[in-house]
Amino acid sequence: MNEEQTSIPIGKLMRAENSQFVAGCRVRELETPALGALVKVTLEDQSQIYGLITNILINDDSLVRQLVSGVSIPTEYTADNRYNRNLPVEIHVLTVGYAQNGQISHRLPPRPPLSLDVLHLCNSNELCHFTSLNEQAYLRHILRLLDQPVEELLAAHLRQAKAAHEDASDPTWYPLACQKLITLLRDDYQRLTTVLDVLTELERE
Amino acid sequence: MEDHNLLSQNPTIGYVISGGLEANLNVRLTVPPQEVQEGAFVIIDSNHWRFYGLVTDLRLTAIDEQYAIQLNSQRFAPHLAEYLNKQTLFTDLAVMPVLMKDNGPDITSPEYPAWRLENTDDPAPMPVKTIPNHHAPVKLADQADIADIFGEEDNKTIFRVGSTREQGHPVCLNLDKFVQRSSGIFGTTGSGKSFLARMILAGLIHADHASTLIFDMHNEYGPDTTSSDTGNAVFGLKGKFTNKVRLVGLGAGTKFGNMPSDFNLEISHSDITTEDVLQLTQILNLKETSATTLDKLENDFHENWFNEFMKMNVGGVVENEDGKMEPAPDSVAFWARQAGIHPGAAEALRSKLGRLFNRPYLIDAPASNGLKAIITALQDKRHVVLSFGKYDSELDYLLVTNLITRKIRDAWEQSTEDFHSGKSKVEPRPLVVVVEEAHKLLNREMASQTIFSTIAREMRKYYVTLLIIDQRPSQIYDEVMSQLGTRISGSLGDEDDINAVLSGLPGRGGLRGMLAKLQPKEEVLMLGWGVPMPIPIRSRRYDQQFWIDIFGEERKPKTKEEILKALGMSNDPD
Repeated sequence: MNEEQTSIPIGKLMRAENSQFVAGCRVRELETPALGALVKVTLEDQSQIYGLITNILINDDSLVRQLVSGVSIPTEYTADNRYNRNLPVEIHVLTVGYAQNGQISHRLPPRPPLSLDVLHLCNSNELCHFTSLNEQAYLRHILRLLDQPVEELLAAHLRQAKAAHEDASDPTWYPLACQKLITLLRDDYQRLTTVLDVLTELERE
Repeated sequence: MEDHNLLSQNPTIGYVISGGLEANLNVRLTVPPQEVQEGAFVIIDSNHWRFYGLVTDLRLTAIDEQYAIQLNSQRFAPHLAEYLNKQTLFTDLAVMPVLMKDNGPDITSPEYPAWRLENTDDPAPMPVKTIPNHHAPVKLADQADIADIFGEEDNKTIFRVGSTREQGHPVCLNLDKFVQRSSGIFGTTGSGKSFLARMILAGLIHADHASTLIFDMHNEYGPDTTSSDTGNAVFGLKGKFTNKVRLVGLGAGTKFGNMPSDFNLEISHSDITTEDVLQLTQILNLKETSATTLDKLENDFHENWFNEFMKMNVGGVVENEDGKMEPAPDSVAFWARQAGIHPGAAEALRSKLGRLFNRPYLIDAPASNGLKAIITALQDKRHVVLSFGKYDSELDYLLVTNLITRKIRDAWEQSTEDFHSGKSKVEPRPLVVVVEEAHKLLNREMASQTIFSTIAREMRKYYVTLLIIDQRPSQIYDEVMSQLGTRISGSLGDEDDINAVLSGLPGRGGLRGMLAKLQPKEEVLMLGWGVPMPIPIRSRRYDQQFWIDIFGEERKPKTKEEILKALGMSNDPD
């Protein structure tokens, strides 16, 4: 059983650029993707593009707007609107690296993925492998985000990755990741202390 | 040539981040600050240059002041706080670069032969003229580095005076260089100044490249004494260098406990000049007219002026033919009238000199010429400790030191001139005159009158230098202080004293703090022309071990059996 088989498909690409892309999925398929999860798209040439889910967006349409403004909505209307509508749930992905000829890099890929390429959720092994390379250099891509709650995204990602590494008997990954984040953010006092506040909160849960 | 690229045995403690020659170098410390102390001697390797510097300050810094202000360990999880502190809070060292040395390219590199052709001499340290690169690694100097700069102890000229405070590596003083210019040993009472002076004097006598004349005001250096702090026996120089040291007592009958003096010094009246008396103007409270009176006395009686003046009485009158009272022929007033001097001024001088006339060691015709004996001993490569015994007043000290030193100046000037003119083929023996309580002789008022300021300024070319031992360097005349080549100072509390010790030296700002924080009895700062760079050290102990190091393993007294056996008279049946 190869890794492709264990990775779970969670959507198809709608639009993309080198640094980020958006996939769509049905609401029924929305149980597995989560904020901060590592995902990948395999291209035709078998190279792969890795990314982190930074946002999951449920768009409205005119029918939803009408229903929302109605006095009461019958349950079957709600279910129909949610599961049968033609508007996909948008999964926003931040590109954090790519693999070519089996070599993983934490830089941006030469080309973005194409529309309708399948987005897969990476399994634990892939997560551990990708995140422990290059002294966790991929974390710098997260800090690029401007209009996102970066600290929440980091907390969500680190929690998942920490659990995966600990399951794989590697307790050293998380401290190293924290040190990497401090190195990357130490010139921005406000941002770093907010991130450390969130990580402290996470650890005290 | 020594091993070239010189990997220091010590680990890196930091790296250069900024700075310059004027403003010192800033070094980011990568080890806990407690591993480095102010005054630490560090080396910085940059390309093929090695820089030698002194840590003059340690400062806590932060990437952003806010990281330092908040208590990170309370706000964040402990390990996060630890990582954060490690990456955002630092200690920076201020390093004063002092020397640098071009070690050339690596001995195995292709550039090396060309470099060696251009630089045939082994590299020697020189004063800094440039700075190391950014991020050049900084290490504590190891034993070889310190020996490179301060020399390797040879139990003679290169004399160990202490060790570095961090790692205890030996630090030496080149005694030949030390005696080439006047020097000073300073420190407050209880700072270990006397032990330090004894130790250095022992080193000088042992090296035997210069004679020493020690004016031992408090009878500390010649005979064995007892430490006022510990009650332990302290060896004197006479006991340890029996043949090399002449112990001289001032006045007849001066003794040193059980130790007899080699000879006693009595000064003939004819050896006292009016210049000697003028140097006592302040202490005898002489008036401005005294100079004229003394001048006249010398004119009239030449070298016997002191004796003749002493014989005159004050107020003696006789009745003349007219029945009037007039000064008696042996009176001061009588002589004054003849000499055209105001009798009142002459009588006042006579009464003030009364304090000199009754000094028991000033006599008309001494049995032996002690002054000459001292000078001869010094010329014969001996060392003289002149003990003042019971005559330890300021007046005695000023008079005798001035008088002897003037004689010495004359003798050494003469022998130097003879040597330079070819009259004599023997180069004059270098001489160090050791003066305790130097501020009494070299304060602002006295310095112009005493012989010592002349020695400090000019006598180097006549092979005579001073070694000043004092607790109040600020009281010593600035011009004299600025002439001191080597300064070795124990702890000094007073700001003025600290400034005085540092006067005329570069990098005073950094050294000031170092001097103020020396540990009494333990640490001293060596600085000045005579040492390649300033360095605070833990001073060597003046104890039994010191003498074992100097003379080798102490010989145990032989037992009676061993002596008999050596004589072939053993009772042993074998």
